[in-house]
Amino acid sequence: MNELLLAALVIGLLMLRQYVVFVLAAAVVFVYMVWGDGRIENIVLDGWDSLNQDVLLPIPLYMLAGAIMAEGAIAGQLVRVMRAIAGPIPGGLAVATCLSCGLFAAIVGSSTVTLLAVGTVMYPALLSAGYSKSFSLGLICAGATLGIIIPPSIPLILYGVMTATSISDLFLAGVGPGLLLLGLFASYSVIVNWRLRSGRWDGGEFWAALRSGIWALLMPVLILGGIYSGLFTATESASIAVVYALVIELFVYRKLDGRGLLRVTTETTRLLGALFPVLMMALALNKFLTFEQVPAQMVAQLEQVFDGPGSFILATNLLLLVVGCLMDIGSAILILAPILQPVAEAQGMHPVHFGIMMTVNLEIGYLTPPMGLNLIVAMTAFRENFWFICKAVLPFIGLMIVGLAAVALWPALSLFMLA
Amino acid sequence: MSTSGTGAASARLAPARGPAPAALARLLAVLRAGEVAITCAAFAVLVAVIFADVVWRWTTGSGIIWAREIGVFANIVLTIIGIGVASADGTHLRPRFFDRVFPASWDGAQTRIQEGLTALGFAALTWIAMDVVHETVRLDDRSIVLRWVIWPVQVSLPIAFALGALRHGIFAAFPALRPMERDEATVEVPAR
Repeated sequence: MNELLLAALVIGLLMLRQYVVFVLAAAVVFVYMVWGDGRIENIVLDGWDSLNQDVLLPIPLYMLAGAIMAEGAIAGQLVRVMRAIAGPIPGGLAVATCLSCGLFAAIVGSSTVTLLAVGTVMYPALLSAGYSKSFSLGLICAGATLGIIIPPSIPLILYGVMTATSISDLFLAGVGPGLLLLGLFASYSVIVNWRLRSGRWDGGEFWAALRSGIWALLMPVLILGGIYSGLFTATESASIAVVYALVIELFVYRKLDGRGLLRVTTETTRLLGALFPVLMMALALNKFLTFEQVPAQMVAQLEQVFDGPGSFILATNLLLLVVGCLMDIGSAILILAPILQPVAEAQGMHPVHFGIMMTVNLEIGYLTPPMGLNLIVAMTAFRENFWFICKAVLPFIGLMIVGLAAVALWPALSLFMLA
Repeated sequence: MSTSGTGAASARLAPARGPAPAALARLLAVLRAGEVAITCAAFAVLVAVIFADVVWRWTTGSGIIWAREIGVFANIVLTIIGIGVASADGTHLRPRFFDRVFPASWDGAQTRIQEGLTALGFAALTWIAMDVVHETVRLDDRSIVLRWVIWPVQVSLPIAFALGALRHGIFAAFPALRPMERDEATVEVPAR
């Protein structure tokens, strides 16, 4: 009966257009009152405890670094180098778009930032080079989703915070699946656009692009190389990313000024101001559930439902595909990761592997209506019809499902670098 | 970070019309400017102390022992006061799959109810947070490394919640002052 009341409360608040933070807060108060000791001040105390830890520090820093780079010249420089490299091969401009998305994603960790930064340069270029509108839109929307699986990735940090999994391990594990998806998109681009070539290899342009883009190209080396070599932690890497981006945008490329910096800082702040209260409430709820041993009870119950990891993987992926259609990836990870991860572990899945599978799955949600964020961003940015974009991304959703199956069924793809 | 998306047509809610006293609009603008100033300063502190920690470790072999603690405090101020910036700019996360349950002609009333309930939620959180801060002061809670009293940082919670209650209360009373709901779909496209 109480479970039904809780569901009714949540649905009622959603129908009254309440924000996620208050839907979660109401749910937390309800569970404290009904199943806990009724001390609702714990909602603020647990929220405070969740904020008062340094594991959260990479989130604002990576978001700020990404915003600075999206505002400045780094994206354009990366795209120029990738065009010079991939241009001469069949479907070369499309491959350059994939590579630019992957490389830019390795810097900013955000799907929509990648879509805007790379897409606004490459979409008109693809069209003028003869690529179809449908293919170009689909490629840019799908390529941009690489931003949340190729490290550094904000959803992977959120998963790490919610499940106490090493963020550095998650970053390492994201490389293989990210490269697999990148390879799938690039191969498809070559096959579909076999007849389209941008011209001969131009050594002069390549060196010119490399010379002017070297500062931008060093960025992922600095961020990821530092983490993977053990030179610095994710938090330190994030602060270095901010300072490096500031220095090269302000003093090398000079595309960012003080006013632009204030604008990107405010933009980042409003995203953080929306994300962190939800994080507070989700962590408060998680703390209560853990204290009441709810995940352990769920594991015991679900062990009888699933007859092995195969059925669990299938059921979880179907659930997450539906959730990805209805909810943003951040909220989905904050709410579902602490509930599903113990069950996955009981089914023999490595927590890092499960985190990568969950993120790759929810990544597809960026491309599925009605809530697919990349569809909406592309509709606004490129002034195209929403349903036309929905159709354009269908082949890429198919490729991503193939990639998801590989990630889910082949743990070594994610875990090979951890050893 | 992504926000909840929506279908094309319902991506934005048209703000309800109504009288909007200029004084309240000015108050909201001043509030936002103050919040932006505080959060930018907190961001600067966060970047500076964490980066200084790295540089110090490279040059001397040991990091700055208090850097993480200051960084965490800066992050708390940044993200808690940032709640107000998110409210002012309409970026709070909201799932929209029930938005079309009721007829579009009810939008005005629904907006008032939405904002009114949010104001009540913030007011309740303010009351609870004040209780928590009072307890922190009474117990003389201090930070682990610097041994500073933590209530001056913790007080950002009731302040931010109280401002949230005030702001959303104003939005409920005068929907014309309410910002359009934004998601990343409305991020300005950078000029190339």
